[in-house]
This record gives sequence, C-alpha cells and structure tokens, in this order.
Amino acid sequence: MTDGPPARVFCPVCSARFPPKEDVAEGKLVRCSVCGQLLVLRAGNGEWSGERYAQLTDDEIRDRVNGFAGLRDYHFSEMKEEILEGLLAKRDAFGDFYCPCRVEHNSDYQCPCKPTRGGDVERHGKCHCGLFLKGMKRNRSALAI
Amino acid sequence: MPDVVKIFALSTCPYCRRTKRFLSEKNVEYEAVDVDLLDDAEQERVLEEIEEMTGRHSFPVVVVGSEIVVGHDEEKLKKVLGL
Repeated sequence: MTDGPPARVFCPVCSARFPPKEDVAEGKLVRCSVCGQLLVLRAGNGEWSGERYAQLTDDEIRDRVNGFAGLRDYHFSEMKEEILEGLLAKRDAFGDFYCPCRVEHNSDYQCPCKPTRGGDVERHGKCHCGLFLKGMKRNRSALAI
Repeated sequence: MPDVVKIFALSTCPYCRRTKRFLSEKNVEYEAVDVDLLDDAEQERVLEEIEEMTGRHSFPVVVVGSEIVVGHDEEKLKKVLGL
C-alpha cells in the first residue's frame, strides 16, 4: 500500500467505495459513510477493503442501523425492536439482513436498503419498512431564547 | 355465509404479524399466505395477483370479499369486518 490516506475503502454491505475520514491501518475499525456498517480494514490487491465486523450477528445489525441513523440524523420508529426481529428472521430464512418488509432478498435490499441509502427518508419521511424516520429540525430561534 | 378472510403476508414482516395477531384477538378466522415462503412459481403467481388487486407489492394485504386493506390498519379492518 502507498503512504498517506487511501482514496477509497470498499464496503461489502453496500458495495460503495467510500473515502475514510481518518488514517487507515490493517485491522482498524472504520464505519462505512454510506450504509453505517462497521468494518475491519484489510489491505489487499492495491486497495483497502472492509470485513464486516461481527458478521451476521445481532450486534452487527444493531450497530449498523444505529450507525446509519447517526450518519443521517434520522430517528427510529417505535417499532424498531419488532423490525429488528424481522431482520434477524430474514437472516435466518434467507442468509442476510434484507428488508423484512420486502419479498426480495438480494444485495439491493440489505438494510439500509438501496432506496434508503439513496434518500427515500428525505423524500418520504421514512424508509419502506418505517424503521428510519426523518429527524426533526431544531428550532434555532426557540433554542436561542 | 360470512366472507372468507384472506391475508397475504411476509413471514418476516412485523406489520403482518400485528395484523395476524389483531385478527386472532378478535376471533376472526382467516387464511394466511406467507408469500416469501412460497416456491418461485407460486410466488410469482401470487405477486401478480396482489399487484392486480393493489397496484403494488406492500404487505400485509387483507381481503374480505370485495374489500381490500393494505398495510396494518386496525380501524379499516374493524370497518370491513363489521367489528
């Protein structure tokens, strides 16, 4: 690998190549800035890629959805726990954390699904299954009083 | 004779679970089809049927005679079931 920050890190969850915010090193944990997945950095074939941290565990999907909500300033539905149960059921039945409210089970529908990563929450106020909700804007003038 | 109540659902969908639970709590007998667990050919046929009825692939879909309720909506269910 060359010195200095790499141009991109490949995320195996959303297939994005994202620019890391900090210096990278083998085995270091970074968060994908597109889907919120926590990744263990691995160097190889001239580029950095990420290994899914705690792959396919309850911890992985909880951390991912919390990470994604944090990145986008979204909040959660009151049905969060039921939707997480659905994601775990999807993993058990179809092999990964695909949206529990869609019949499809392919990489486009890894949670957060491609439409959600592409801005559905901004457009519609929520994602397809209603897990992520658009954050409330702060009323700055009221806060200033 | 009362209409047969049919629900098209996904086995992993929390809204579908809520709808099934609501119907059970109200002692409504229903026939449930978990679309995601059907074999490919049957799934394709059922999805076409759902799209024809509702214009989309959203779940759950509850069919009561000629009435169709898409999504978990207890007020609409009470209305169409006369509860």
